[in-house]
Amino acid sequence: MAYYGSVEDYRYNDDFLLRLRDLRRGNLDLGWLNAGTEQREFRAENPKRGLTYLDLDEGSYGFSELDNEPRGPRGAAPRGAAVEPEAQADLGPELNHKNDVWAYKVASFTEEAMSRQWDASTAIPWQDLDRYERPEELEIAFAQLCTFFTEVELIATDLPAKWSWRMNNQFQEVKHFIATQAMDEARHAEVFRKRALAGGIGLMEALPQAEHTLKAILDCNAYSEASAFMHLLAEGNVLTMFRFSEFISPTPVDKRIFQLVMQDEARHVSYGLQHLRWVMDKDPGRKEELHKTLEEAERISIGQFDAALLECMIVLAGKGTKPGQIAEGVKLVGGFQVRQIEEYFQRLRRAGFEERIERSLFRQLLADIGHPDPLAAA
Amino acid sequence: MAYLAPKDYSKDPALLEAAARKMAGDLDLDWMQKIRERAAFRPGNPHRGLTLADINGGSYGPDSVPELVRHNFSMAPRGAILPKGLPSLGYTLNRKSEVWADAALALFEEGKSRHWAPARDIPWHALDGADPASREERALRQLCSLLSGVGLVCADIAARAVYRLNIEFHEIKYLLCMQMLDGARIAEATRKRALYGAGSLGVDSQALGELLKMVADSDSYPQSSAGLNLHLASLLQSFARHLEWATDNAADAMIWTRVAQDASRFLSYGVDHLRTLLRARPGEAEELNQHLDLLDNGLVGALGATEVIEPLIVLSGGAQPVARLYETLAAELFSRCESAGLGPRRARSPLCDFLKLLPGSS
Repeated sequence: MAYYGSVEDYRYNDDFLLRLRDLRRGNLDLGWLNAGTEQREFRAENPKRGLTYLDLDEGSYGFSELDNEPRGPRGAAPRGAAVEPEAQADLGPELNHKNDVWAYKVASFTEEAMSRQWDASTAIPWQDLDRYERPEELEIAFAQLCTFFTEVELIATDLPAKWSWRMNNQFQEVKHFIATQAMDEARHAEVFRKRALAGGIGLMEALPQAEHTLKAILDCNAYSEASAFMHLLAEGNVLTMFRFSEFISPTPVDKRIFQLVMQDEARHVSYGLQHLRWVMDKDPGRKEELHKTLEEAERISIGQFDAALLECMIVLAGKGTKPGQIAEGVKLVGGFQVRQIEEYFQRLRRAGFEERIERSLFRQLLADIGHPDPLAAA
Repeated sequence: MAYLAPKDYSKDPALLEAAARKMAGDLDLDWMQKIRERAAFRPGNPHRGLTLADINGGSYGPDSVPELVRHNFSMAPRGAILPKGLPSLGYTLNRKSEVWADAALALFEEGKSRHWAPARDIPWHALDGADPASREERALRQLCSLLSGVGLVCADIAARAVYRLNIEFHEIKYLLCMQMLDGARIAEATRKRALYGAGSLGVDSQALGELLKMVADSDSYPQSSAGLNLHLASLLQSFARHLEWATDNAADAMIWTRVAQDASRFLSYGVDHLRTLLRARPGEAEELNQHLDLLDNGLVGALGATEVIEPLIVLSGGAQPVARLYETLAAELFSRCESAGLGPRRARSPLCDFLKLLPGSS
């Protein structure tokens, strides 16, 4: 234990014993009744939605009026409670600027996440898998795809967890959102593992290049860097992949999986986009740092070429390994790859970071495969 | 960015050429031969769906994981083929007995099936008749303010371990993610309760904050688990049961029932985890007990703090029910520690002396 508290043994602490003696005599101090905190009227604006974080967004309890530098509180107390800075147990938060973590709409994302939790055990009709004919080569390709998703989804539990405990408790809505994301992603890893192990093939080979991307995300120096890389680029790419995977899924059971994970993933990407937008609006001096991060992130993403991943998608998209099927698969996957980059650029535009597109390494990649320059097209 | 790509892939002709070859339809397909262990698991009980226990057959199950993990530090899932070149993700919790609990699988499944959302699952309108100026209502708001902080720190403590935990123990990682959510939800529900109607938050507690910091700053995962899953969860569960008993409205009854239910999952994991640890390494018991001695002292400070005990007395209609609450809390905590293999703690814990000092103690 690195912290032992300020009182060695309460049984021998005079102040403590004196208070207990007063209590035994029936004398209550009741100083806590005079907290001096704000009293406000809070109700659920929409009874169907219940009492949301947005309903509480007023005065000292709200997040809209929360300053970028909420000086003083560094302990467990929730925002708006009475805190004596010199008498609090300092939990040592490292992220104390609102701009470091905040995102537009984060309270709404959190409420949505709480209301849309699902259960991978019961929400997927696993028994129905046997009702559909699944050719061996497609099942193998799908097992490889599920192995990949099982592998990469847990970066989005680990990265948020790495940063959330370092955030000041004044940013409760963000910390709560991150907790929902961790849970969402644990469930994603769970559902893809289950699918791989229910299909008759089992888990296949892990993909080293993808793992290097995960390591790069986990090792980012700052939360906003990590968020831009993970939420905006990596999870954005995965979101496009989920949509494509729903399209190429061999059975309705599999399509159901992708419909559910997409809903979660879209929320995570939206948070990342809205965090980046917040940073662009409130702290534009960080642009150059984010350019550097995304440049390296793009470089690593280009390196994330795993033959097995690309080929399994081609096989699934073409519905087999015959030459004609492969040709069809190549055509569809090619379109998907371009879509991944286009959607990344769209997210950058929506985040107010359009200038990144001009410097993006993906532009040359698009040129190499004969795709029109997105800036010229715009 | 701390991690740099080993080379500039955007200028790597070999890589671009390989990708172009694939996109010209020249596939290898050798990965299709790499089937290591076939599996076609189905739900054991259709009502429960396909559970983690259902898919843990053969080498995919946790029995295949050795006590000391030396083979995988990447995010490659347990049972996948591990090719050369997988990087280390820097996990520091790589010893099975340090983290494992068989109960984790069922607890994760239970947690998912018992999810609740405070915004919509609590009948907030049932609080409309409460008098915001009454001493009881203000006492409850004070306790809710403190428990909101406890929830926030519970989430933080779980988060601190999630990314350090080796992927071979993915069930534990899942459960810790759920603990993050549970903690955040406790913080949310209690804060909303304090603010609903003509609400307000109360005062911070230095003594309670110190207990939370002691747990958060534990030196090892087992110490942190004991603090979170035994001490803090015992406190949460006891308080929630007591407040559910003391309430007369449906909203509070629902909040406290759910909080107690969530806290019970922490307790179950904590007991099973420490039991697993101490069966494998009984020599760790004394160090853990010394850690718990310090936490017990912190718990005494928190339970005796004016801003904690007085609102309880106000809400309970006197000191005697609070003394009973604290006695039950201590008895259950000792019982859990003993069940976990830590031996009898009553004689060494400062909690017992504290209980004797309480007004109305038996």
